[in-house]
Amino acid sequence: MPQEQHSQSMAHDEQHEDDAAIGAQTTHRTAADAAIDDLDAILDDIGMVLETNAEEYVSGFVQKGGQ
Amino acid sequence: MPQLHDSGNRGRVGARPSAHLDDFARIFGIETEYGLSVTGASRPCDAGQVAMMMFQPIMQRVRATNTYLTNGSRLYLDVGAHPEYATAEARTPGDATLADAAGEHIMRDLALDAQRRLRATLGQGATIHLFKNNADSAGHSFGCHENYLVRRGVALGQIETQLLPFLITRQILTGAGRFDGVRWHVTQRAAFVDETVSSATTRSRPMINTRDEPHADPESFRRLHVIIGDSNRSQWATTMKLATTHLVLCLMEWGARHGEETGLESIALADPVEANLAVDADGPRAALRLADGTTTTPLALQRRVLGAVLRFVRMRRDEVAASLDGDPLMTLDDVLGEWERGIETLAYDDEGAGLADRADWACKRRFAARLAARGAVDPMRLAQLDLDYHDIASGALFASLTRHGMMRALCDDARIERAVTTPPAGTRAVLRGAFVAHAEAAPVAWSCDWTQLRLTAPVKDDVMILDPFDAVGDERYARLLALIDGACGTGADMAV
Repeated sequence: MPQEQHSQSMAHDEQHEDDAAIGAQTTHRTAADAAIDDLDAILDDIGMVLETNAEEYVSGFVQKGGQ
Repeated sequence: MPQLHDSGNRGRVGARPSAHLDDFARIFGIETEYGLSVTGASRPCDAGQVAMMMFQPIMQRVRATNTYLTNGSRLYLDVGAHPEYATAEARTPGDATLADAAGEHIMRDLALDAQRRLRATLGQGATIHLFKNNADSAGHSFGCHENYLVRRGVALGQIETQLLPFLITRQILTGAGRFDGVRWHVTQRAAFVDETVSSATTRSRPMINTRDEPHADPESFRRLHVIIGDSNRSQWATTMKLATTHLVLCLMEWGARHGEETGLESIALADPVEANLAVDADGPRAALRLADGTTTTPLALQRRVLGAVLRFVRMRRDEVAASLDGDPLMTLDDVLGEWERGIETLAYDDEGAGLADRADWACKRRFAARLAARGAVDPMRLAQLDLDYHDIASGALFASLTRHGMMRALCDDARIERAVTTPPAGTRAVLRGAFVAHAEAAPVAWSCDWTQLRLTAPVKDDVMILDPFDAVGDERYARLLALIDGACGTGADMAV
C-alpha cells in the first residue's frame, strides 16, 4: 500500500514526530496526487474544447428573445 | 395536430375541492429555456434557423413547434429561437429532477440529429451547442422557472417577506455559478433580475411571478412561479432547490392553516434586489441588511430557515415525510441532512470545496482553481469552459467532471431514459401522457394543454383534467381513450 510506505518513510523524518500529524499529512498528499491525475484526465477529455478559439466560441453565443 | 393554448380554465366548472387541501402534498414543475449557438460552420449560420432545424422532426409529426409528449411534458420553440422544455407535473422533487433530466436527453437528441443534417451543408466541423444556462455573451438572460402548487392560505405578503429571503440565500447551495470574463458569480441570474414580486415577466425581471394560473382548483391553490433560480447541471442542486423550497412552503402553509408563527417573521430583507446581488458577488458571507435594521449573512439566514424547518418537522414529521413519499432520489432525512451539511461546509470554507462534487458554482470554482494552479488561464478560455459546462449537446467538461468523481450524479442514464417516455407517477401527467401515446398511435387529430385533452377528428370529444393529483381519471377520460383506440379499427384516413 503506497500510503503506508509513505507514512513509514515520513516517520523517519525527525521533523515529523507526531504520528497523527504524519497520518493527516500523508492522506492530504495522496488526495492531492489523485486530484492532479483527475485534472490530467479531464484536460484529455476536453482537448477538443481547448483547441477551439475561445473568443469566437464565447462571442458567437448571442441569444435573442426568451422568457 | 396539437394546438396549444391555455384553455383559460380556472377550474370554476367541475372542480372539486382538492383532497390534498389539508396535507402537504405538492405539485412541482420545472420550465427550462435553452440557449443555442453554432461553431465551426463553413459559413455563417443563423441560430434561429438551426433551432427550427432542431424542431423539424416535431413539425413533421404534429405540424407545430409546440407539443406535449408521452411523458406528459411540453416541448416547444419559444420566441427568439429558445428551445424550451416544461416538465410534467411531479409529486416529488426527485421526480421533477428526473423529468428535467429527461428534457435534457430529448433536447440533446434533437440537437445532435439537427447537427447531422447541418453538417451536410456546413461541413463536418459544424457543431451545435445547446446551453442549459441563463446568460449569453451579450447580456441576454433566459430562465429556469420553478412551479409550485401552493395552498391559498399563504398570503402574497409572506411570499415576499419570508419565502423570498430564503430563495435569495439558498443560492449559496444551488447557484450554478458564472464566469463573466472578469470575475466569478455564485449565480447565473442575479445580475438580470430587478424586481421582487410581479405579475409581468417580459418587461420587468421579477424574482417571483404572481400570474395566477393554478391549473387546479383556484379556491384551494395558487401557482407559485419562481424565476430567481438558475438552470442547474447538478442533479443534487436541482433536487435540493425544489426540496428545500418545498419544506419552507410546508412550514408557511402550516402557519397559515393554524394561525401560528412560522419563525421566519424576522428574515425580511431591507432590499431584496441588493441582497440578491450581494449573494451573487460575495457568496456565503455576503453582508445582507434585514428589514429590522440588523445585518446578517446568507449562511446565518439559511441557518435560521433550516432551524425553523427542523422545529416544524419535529412536530409534523409523518405528514411532511408523507409529502415526499416515493421520491426516487432523496428522503426527507436526506434533504435535511444535505441542507445542514451544505450550510456547515460553507461555514468552514466559503469557497465551497466540500460541496464541489454537488454544487455547480463550487464545482466550477474548484476546477478553475486547479487549472490556475498549473499556470495562468486566459479569462476567455475560462468563460468558454463555463459555457461548455452547460452545453448539453456538445459539451465535454460536465460529463468529464462526473466521470472522474468531481461531480456526483444522483441517478443513472437508464432511469433518465425511462423518464423520457414515462410520466411522473401520481399526477395527471399520467393521464396526459397516456392520451398523447394513444393519440399518436391512432389516425386521429388531437390537441391538449395542461388541463384539457381534446379529440378533434374523426369525432370530437374533450375532457378536462383539473385535479393535478388525479392519475386515474374519470369515466369521460376512459371514454376518450376508447374513442381514440376505436379509431384505429375504422380505417379512417386522418393525416396527423
